[in-house]
Amino acid sequence: MLALRIKDKQMGYFFILPAALMLLAVIIYPAIYSLKLSFTSESEALYSLTNYAELFRDALFWQAFRNTLVFVGVVVTLHLVIGFSIAMALNTRIKARLLFRLIVLLPWTVPDVVAGITWKWIYDPVYGALNDLLSRLNLIDAPILWLSDPKLAMASIIFADIWRGFPFVMLILLSGLQAIPRELYEAAKIDRASGFQSFRYITLPSLKKIVGVALALDIIWEFRRFGLVQTMTQGGPGHQTEVFSTLIYKEYFQFFRFEYASAIAVIMSIILLSLSLPYIWMISKE
Amino acid sequence: MKKSTKWLLMSLVTVFILTAAVTLSFGKVTLRFSDWHMGEAHWLKALEEAKVIFEKQYPDIKITFEPVSYGEKETKYITASEAGQAPDVMHLHAYSLAAFIEKGYALDLTPFINKEKAGFLDAWYALPLTLCTYKGKVYAMPGDYMAQVLVRNTELFMKAGFDPAKPPVTWDEFLEYAQALTVDRDGDFKVDQWGFGMIGAKSPGFELRFSPFVWSFGADYLTEDMKHSALDTPEAAEAIKFFVSLYREYGVAPPGATAFGPFDVRTQLAQEKVAMNIGSGWTVPIVDSINPELGASQVLEYSAVPVKRKAITSAWLSAWIISPNSKHPREAWEWTKFITSKEMELKWFRDASVLSARQDVSGVSLEILEDKHAKVVAYELAFAKFVPQIKEWPEIIDAVTTAVQEGLIGVKTPEKALADAHKRINAILAR
Amino acid sequence: MRALGIQQQQTIKISLVYFFLVLVSIFVFFPFVWMFLTSLKTNPEALRIPPTWVPQKLTFEAYIAIWTRKPFGTYFMNSVMIASCTAAISTFLGALAGYGFSRFIFRGKTLLLGAFLATQMLPGGLLIGPYFKILARIGLFNTRTGLIIAFITICLPFSTWMLKGFFDTIPPELDQAAMIDGCSRIGAFRRVLLPVAKPGMVATVLFAFLLAWGDVLWALCLTSTHEMSTVTLGILRFVGEFQVYWPMLMAGSIIGSVPAIILYIMLQKFLITGLTAGAVKG
Repeated sequence: MLALRIKDKQMGYFFILPAALMLLAVIIYPAIYSLKLSFTSESEALYSLTNYAELFRDALFWQAFRNTLVFVGVVVTLHLVIGFSIAMALNTRIKARLLFRLIVLLPWTVPDVVAGITWKWIYDPVYGALNDLLSRLNLIDAPILWLSDPKLAMASIIFADIWRGFPFVMLILLSGLQAIPRELYEAAKIDRASGFQSFRYITLPSLKKIVGVALALDIIWEFRRFGLVQTMTQGGPGHQTEVFSTLIYKEYFQFFRFEYASAIAVIMSIILLSLSLPYIWMISKE
Repeated sequence: MKKSTKWLLMSLVTVFILTAAVTLSFGKVTLRFSDWHMGEAHWLKALEEAKVIFEKQYPDIKITFEPVSYGEKETKYITASEAGQAPDVMHLHAYSLAAFIEKGYALDLTPFINKEKAGFLDAWYALPLTLCTYKGKVYAMPGDYMAQVLVRNTELFMKAGFDPAKPPVTWDEFLEYAQALTVDRDGDFKVDQWGFGMIGAKSPGFELRFSPFVWSFGADYLTEDMKHSALDTPEAAEAIKFFVSLYREYGVAPPGATAFGPFDVRTQLAQEKVAMNIGSGWTVPIVDSINPELGASQVLEYSAVPVKRKAITSAWLSAWIISPNSKHPREAWEWTKFITSKEMELKWFRDASVLSARQDVSGVSLEILEDKHAKVVAYELAFAKFVPQIKEWPEIIDAVTTAVQEGLIGVKTPEKALADAHKRINAILAR
Repeated sequence: MRALGIQQQQTIKISLVYFFLVLVSIFVFFPFVWMFLTSLKTNPEALRIPPTWVPQKLTFEAYIAIWTRKPFGTYFMNSVMIASCTAAISTFLGALAGYGFSRFIFRGKTLLLGAFLATQMLPGGLLIGPYFKILARIGLFNTRTGLIIAFITICLPFSTWMLKGFFDTIPPELDQAAMIDGCSRIGAFRRVLLPVAKPGMVATVLFAFLLAWGDVLWALCLTSTHEMSTVTLGILRFVGEFQVYWPMLMAGSIIGSVPAIILYIMLQKFLITGLTAGAVKG
């Protein structure tokens, strides 16, 4: 038995090795390069904290920070709520479920940049489809400035991102639901458990881990969401929709401030890492 | 498991060998040439024709086209330049030229120019050449060069009771005209035609159309030594207040301006939703392709951008650079020289209505000087000015655009927004 | 509710489900309807203000133009190759690693798990520069292989975590039972766990496929010629300096969605194969 255990331990590494090597080979140099870059500055020869010092004083950084939290928080929550409801609905034995499963997946097949361009067009106050539709239905008098009204700009982007992103969460949860043994539900039925009870005591506990994974990955992905925001507002109007990803892009590719952009990116990674640490810790303790 | 790994390795190796074989080319010198124009049908056709002529003249040089879209070109060129894999010849616009030169993404062309005939550069206007020059060396060859003009729809002018031959000359007049041209055409008590098409989105198109306001009001972005912001003057405040009031107070521009880029506004012009905008040589042909029924070349007329204190407008320039990582700089120079030659510059005008930075084209050619649109653009070049050419410029104009947007959406008063931009620009320049 | 029979309750439940799904479908379809209608218009009509909904002059011009005016076929081949290789390899490696993380206790596991996730936290725009340098050095710039490797590294942490989550839901007794029956670890993994994790693998395959398919930044920077370009890049070139060619852009987007839809339909049957009593008994 002991021999088996030791062998088993090595087996663990063996299974992980190919993936780990692959990641290491590709990511390590770029990651270290970026990290190094963030500690260099044009004015000083040696490594310094100049970029970080500037960053914490930069009102724009803090605004992007707040915007990112709002954006990610709302988007991920709604992805989960909508994705979960749809997954539950699609997990029933209705006749047209294959058709619906296909339909709800469609937005995900649109690249996020294309989704951004399309939604920007739909939102356009002069020649967009949405205002035209609403005014034809006599619901509005004057066009709504979806992307130019400071109160609406972020919400409009969030709405578009929910449209594009919920199928991802939905599909993970649907896969998770499918993996729950049907026997459990049948047993519950025999025990005369109500629908809610079997949801509470079978569905939720079985899905806990998958929901965790879906959440963690969706948070990371939405933190990095770039194409959609960039094509719709480029962070505007003003900086109303400026998020980390658009700010980093701007600093890097428009302002040529590679070092400063790296510093923002490093801070963003640290925020993400500290958000996910408790979760990683919890997962690995189980 | 072992089997799968082997399979995987083998397939990776095969793919690698295959692609390597394809990418290797033999024989002549192959130049990688990249230009955002390749995305436009009429431009692509013109460039391909030029390529055929060139390859006939230089049988040992083969040009390969590397298309890129307008919005993505900087991203692509920066990454490729950093990795030493940039195309041999790239097309930039003035917006990022200074930064590209300073970052070392452009080859010094002075040695090539020195080998040409004496006075080789005399064919070009002096102003665009200064943009291509950095610390006494020439790093780029000027391409298209145009002044911004006021575009008006003469049909809508007539409907509003204006003489179609008389454009507004001052900004005050412009406002009067714009107000009269902002009307409800279909009688549903909602405005459906506006006087002025305003670009308020963050795009290189913004600085071109906003700068004439700033300059003609007598203000400027930076002090003369380019070390400080000059936006704290009453003239600057007046300019931004006027610009914002067109949208907020007078409502002469369509709603949602902060989301509109040049393309959106041209569509509004093409669909007769706006009566005037600020444009240049490209406006008529594009408007014509958006809405052929308008008859753009008949209906649209160009005139000088209105004046407050100074008659001044902004200049547009595109330029060609050769990458320092190019393995065939000499051949790249031949191609650059060819596409900026007098014959080709005239061809670009014929095929795409753009004016050249060559004086012996834009200032001489009767084709241009007799064209009712092109002649205005060419004439206004004498009043055209460029935005400051420093590498911090993209950051500075971003601060200005932000201020204007904040004014337009009303989260700040224009004065407050401008004061904030002033502070931010000074902070940028003090770094 | 009590007064209703089980049959009626069931009917109400099903109608509610249908109602909800129809609502969701409207939400999903609205932009698609617009995209589709636009793709059938001429360019001038697509830009009309106010917009027309039903094309006045129905035309398939845009669908023909994307294939004839651009080497869309080449783009398509590239994208299909790149996306399928990415999906296959990253799911395979991710399943191995996910299994390793799920079933074994070893030193540094938490750290490794965290490290896998952490590789996804730096934004792509930053990593791409240095990655480009490596690629250029080993001669993989402007190749499909270079792109595939890049996409695999983006997808791997995802597929690992995702499949780990799936393996975690499968009781460990299952593989132990198989091993007692004489299977090796690898045998148990292949014969028992992989089939059970199929729904999860569907999700990771689709994820990787769509990521590689829809990416712009990496494909933009790591390829330079038409021959290596991808569909999404090709589509975006319809947004020019002066114009957006809406009908072609929309037609390209719709055509671009088709492979993923076909893939999904093909994978449907695996999504349905859940855990059954048979599997539990080994």
